[in-house]
Amino acid sequence: MATVASTITAPGADVHRTPLIRVTLVWVLTALVLFPVLAILGLLMRAQQGGYLQSTPPEVFYAIMTLHGLGMVGLWFVAGMAVISVLLANYVKPTTAVSWIAYGATLAGVVLLLAATLIGRLGVGWYFLYPLPFHSGGTWPPWATASLFAALAIMGVGWTVWSADLLFAIARRYRLSHALGWHYLSGATTPDVPPIIIISTVSFIGVLAGLVAAVVILVLVALEQFGSGFTNDALLIKNLTFYFGHMVVNITMYFGVAMVYEVLPAYTGRPWKTNTLVVLAWNLVLFLVMFAYLHHLYMDFAQPRWLQVTGQLSSYLISVPAAVVTIFSTLVLIYGSTMRWRLPSVMLFLGVMGWAIGGVAAVIDSTVAVNTRFHNTLWVPAHFHTYFVMGVMLMILGTVFHLVTDLSKVPERSALTKTIVGTVGLGGYGFLLMFYLAGVASVPRRYAVYPAEVAVGTTFAKVSLIFIAVLLVGALVYIWETGRRCLKAFSS
Amino acid sequence: MPITAFVVFVISSAIILLVFGVVARSTNAHRDVNYARANRLRLLFFVSLGAILLIFLALTLPDLPYPVEASAPERIVLATGKQYAWSLTEGTSPTLDNWDTAFSPTINVPTGAVVEFRVTTLDVNHGFSLYGPDRHLKAQTQAMPGYVNRLRVVFDQPGTYTVLCLEFCGMAHHRMRGVVEVR
Repeated sequence: MATVASTITAPGADVHRTPLIRVTLVWVLTALVLFPVLAILGLLMRAQQGGYLQSTPPEVFYAIMTLHGLGMVGLWFVAGMAVISVLLANYVKPTTAVSWIAYGATLAGVVLLLAATLIGRLGVGWYFLYPLPFHSGGTWPPWATASLFAALAIMGVGWTVWSADLLFAIARRYRLSHALGWHYLSGATTPDVPPIIIISTVSFIGVLAGLVAAVVILVLVALEQFGSGFTNDALLIKNLTFYFGHMVVNITMYFGVAMVYEVLPAYTGRPWKTNTLVVLAWNLVLFLVMFAYLHHLYMDFAQPRWLQVTGQLSSYLISVPAAVVTIFSTLVLIYGSTMRWRLPSVMLFLGVMGWAIGGVAAVIDSTVAVNTRFHNTLWVPAHFHTYFVMGVMLMILGTVFHLVTDLSKVPERSALTKTIVGTVGLGGYGFLLMFYLAGVASVPRRYAVYPAEVAVGTTFAKVSLIFIAVLLVGALVYIWETGRRCLKAFSS
Repeated sequence: MPITAFVVFVISSAIILLVFGVVARSTNAHRDVNYARANRLRLLFFVSLGAILLIFLALTLPDLPYPVEASAPERIVLATGKQYAWSLTEGTSPTLDNWDTAFSPTINVPTGAVVEFRVTTLDVNHGFSLYGPDRHLKAQTQAMPGYVNRLRVVFDQPGTYTVLCLEFCGMAHHRMRGVVEVR
């Protein structure tokens, strides 16, 4: 195995990857189209909260909010899956046809979601907390709810098959115990298993565990809707919903981190090998991620107290392997190296930094005593936008640029790199700061209009518009630069 | 508390920025990594981080907001959510059948008394939150179908406290409100 792999033409490349690269490029191009559209929806929401677009009815705001949330979570999950699959192809053989099936299922789901939100005005939020989809108050018709669940079912099937295929691809080369790196714990160093295999294995197991919860939710909801006299337990459904949602978002993050492990060595010139610490860290993550979701239910006082304490404990503990192993090792990998500072390496570096900063904000909010003041205020979108926009998004987009530059052979322009990094950095952290300050000021999240008690939220929303505009400029320059490389790579 | 949390966040972020900045600058001059020293530093980081988290756990876990059975509240308020209003009553709470005649959006409570809000909902999930006269969030709990969440609050300061919904519940979520007058 190459010690510094990570490029699409790395030693060990096989002809089977060409069709996989093509479907991955289709995924990337689709993501590049959807991303700015969904980001503009976010801009429109902040504009309405800032006192503009006053003629827009609140139900339109909430429908857009639902589309923005579901769209962004789904978009970065599938983008992460697509990029990971092509990186995994350095070591194993994913099935190209399965990626196409997942693509078709995702497109079908997107069409259904667009219809539900834009035509049906379905406004339920990205985690559609039961039983809200069935209590529209006359805002959206029953077909919009049916459309939502149909979309989730179709995409769920596609993503399950996709995750299972990638897991099987790993299993065809590595035994599960090797893929999880357990042999390193007993002192063995063979077979040599690259970190991306271990992280991906953990992630796909996590995806499948999360999707099981989603299936249970769908079955329970269907039983209530079509059964006679069956009523669901709201607390049980809430636990399942947040278990699923937290898992999907965290796994997307882990995809980004796996990319850092795989791609960054190509720029530092130093290999990033698996060792006992890496194995311990990621196996611990696989265990703890099953319980960290509990911090979403702190304000559900009916939840048993020991589960609330478990939530804080696991949320604190899960930060340790991330900080002590991945983030610390990233810094050691770079320290004093002959680092080639190019757009991909800068984005990966900043992505890890954003992950760390967002992680601190998340750990603070995962403290029960603090959560009483921050739960469902704008502190929540503040922290998850930090590790999404300035974390995983930078990691995935950095890796995408790395791949398409390698495939298209179009050289990078340093002036544009500086423009992208400068605008995304300034715009990103500026718009996040407005979220944080509003959270400290107790401004609720998910309000189309701020009542007098929290009117200060209007000012924060107005200022954030400037930063979002700056962020969008950087994003559009990136999309232009990456899109043309993508098209060239696709046509060659 | 939110200010303290923000200060902790800003200081932590500044340290992260500083460390990442130092590491980025270090690539100006190539040097080999002393892995033995790096591992000692990692161990120190691990111990420090572990200690900080343990201290935070020890400081914050005694502050759990969940009521204990040992003491009885001085006043009990039944807080019932329904798209898109809060009912605040004593004695009996409204139902779906008598909502229009039985619900009350306002309640009076005495300053300094231990008030227990028994929070539930007749339809979807809501978030019961109390905003003080200073317009800051004082306390909250969720309202879940089929459950009663008990939230205990001592109002030290008299004034008008507003109840807002903090769990997205539909089209008029932002207009759902109630009033607690503390005298």
